[in-house]
Amino acid sequence: MTGPITTRALTLLFWITAGVIYLPIGVMAVFSFSSARYQILPIPAYTTEWYTRVFTDGQYSAGFLNSILLAAMVSLAATLIGFACAYSLVNARFPGKNAFTLLVLAPLAVPLLLVGIALRIWTTMLGLQPSLPLAGLGQVLYVLPLAVLNLRNRIAQLPKSHEEAAWALGASRLRAIMDVILPACRAALLATFILCFTFAFDEFVIAYFLTNFSVTLPIKIWTTLVTGFDPTINALGTMVFAFSLTLGVTAQWLLMRKDP
Amino acid sequence: MARPPVSNLWQGILPALVLMAGFFLLPILYTLGLSLTSDGAPGLTLANYSAFAGEATLTDALMRSLTLALSVVVAATVLAWPLAWYLTFCVTHQRRVLLLFVLVAPFWTSFTIRAFSWQMVLADRGIVWATLRQLTGADVSLGFLYSLPASIFGLTLFGIMLITLMVYSSMVTIDRRLIEANAVLGGSGWTAFREVVLPLALPGWIIGAALTFIVAVGDYAVPSLLGGGLRPVLAQVMLSVLKGTYDLPMAATLASVLVIVIVLCVAPLLLLVRGTRLQS
Repeated sequence: MTGPITTRALTLLFWITAGVIYLPIGVMAVFSFSSARYQILPIPAYTTEWYTRVFTDGQYSAGFLNSILLAAMVSLAATLIGFACAYSLVNARFPGKNAFTLLVLAPLAVPLLLVGIALRIWTTMLGLQPSLPLAGLGQVLYVLPLAVLNLRNRIAQLPKSHEEAAWALGASRLRAIMDVILPACRAALLATFILCFTFAFDEFVIAYFLTNFSVTLPIKIWTTLVTGFDPTINALGTMVFAFSLTLGVTAQWLLMRKDP
Repeated sequence: MARPPVSNLWQGILPALVLMAGFFLLPILYTLGLSLTSDGAPGLTLANYSAFAGEATLTDALMRSLTLALSVVVAATVLAWPLAWYLTFCVTHQRRVLLLFVLVAPFWTSFTIRAFSWQMVLADRGIVWATLRQLTGADVSLGFLYSLPASIFGLTLFGIMLITLMVYSSMVTIDRRLIEANAVLGGSGWTAFREVVLPLALPGWIIGAALTFIVAVGDYAVPSLLGGGLRPVLAQVMLSVLKGTYDLPMAATLASVLVIVIVLCVAPLLLLVRGTRLQS
């Protein structure tokens, strides 16, 4: 249906687009090994100094640790809440189910900036002090739609008969979930956790608005970028990109894999 | 068939419901409400909105946001349709999975880092400048970084990924026999596109375009790092209000204006989805 010349043109278009998308990341990776403080060509000498500095500069490592801990708590909470929610959405009928589903998925269609501002205004009104746990709560609702979508798909695919067999043998609803549904969703649960982690780890605006003094890695990167340049960012950016890419690929691979 | 044990399944949604109501729905409604109040006056008032309309820096920022978001949607759409066609009809299934990966993977990392990495490429003495000088020998000043077109460019890349993905996911469900029937009846590739593929893939485009618009109109990272601070978009103003002057009613008003813009621009698109569903 598509002629050979058109196909070739479209192939070219695809790879040019991909090339443009990847170009700056490649450039950043190359400059992260440059010994010059500024991005100048040709590169005078190659060094791993900036990578060492990421780990020795206390501000970056503190931010990194905060981000890892926060993202781990956030994705654990989102995976658990998402699983409970997804199981009920698949199996239960209740009034307002469609409205509820829309509400849970709504953060996907609202700019994070708005969520951040509304949360800051709301928590100030409630008299809550900005803090990392508060930011974590905000991030849970940001990644929850991903968790619910992933897990709902997985649970809906499971054969009903296994759970029914457990019931016939006298298992309660909860027992059957623990012994039958959860093990069958292992890969999807892990994938969901990793995916939520990836997004929570990079989340900036909610953390920026809902914390005062605790600094996450994205906040540290942002403040460094808007107040001046530091070549360490090249190394850090390259590492964060590689890290997110690895997590994302792992999550997708787990989701696509046929469960036993 | 075994009967499910008696249990209150709705309990499963409780944690999500409490979280979404208490930390998403109520804060947004409260923020919208706050924009209708004024410190001095009791009751509801539009004072904040008239103050917004009277402040040229704010209305300019709003216009920039609109220009940015609409340009991004248009530019990304133009590129996304051929790309989605390519992924659907020109490659094998296995290759398609790989190509989708290639397209989506870079967007798993933060907007900030991707926007920043473009600074080096687009800067006045960056890679593009150096390449141009190598090729032409001319020392042209680009003047591209820190302008609205640079923001449009940066966000269009995101839009291409999202709209291609959404159009592709509609296109791939089209029954190939419809296209073959069109060809048997003498239709060319172009008529197949216009009469079969376009109408059937339109819902995917609408979702992709709506989400792209929302992301582009609410993004602060690309406009800050590529667009610069001199001519800010609304999102940049919001960021500085909340972290600078800390004028919460003002922040609430700006947030509400953003909500209104999104509803006004996205609602017609979503009505279009319903329209196309009813037709088919």
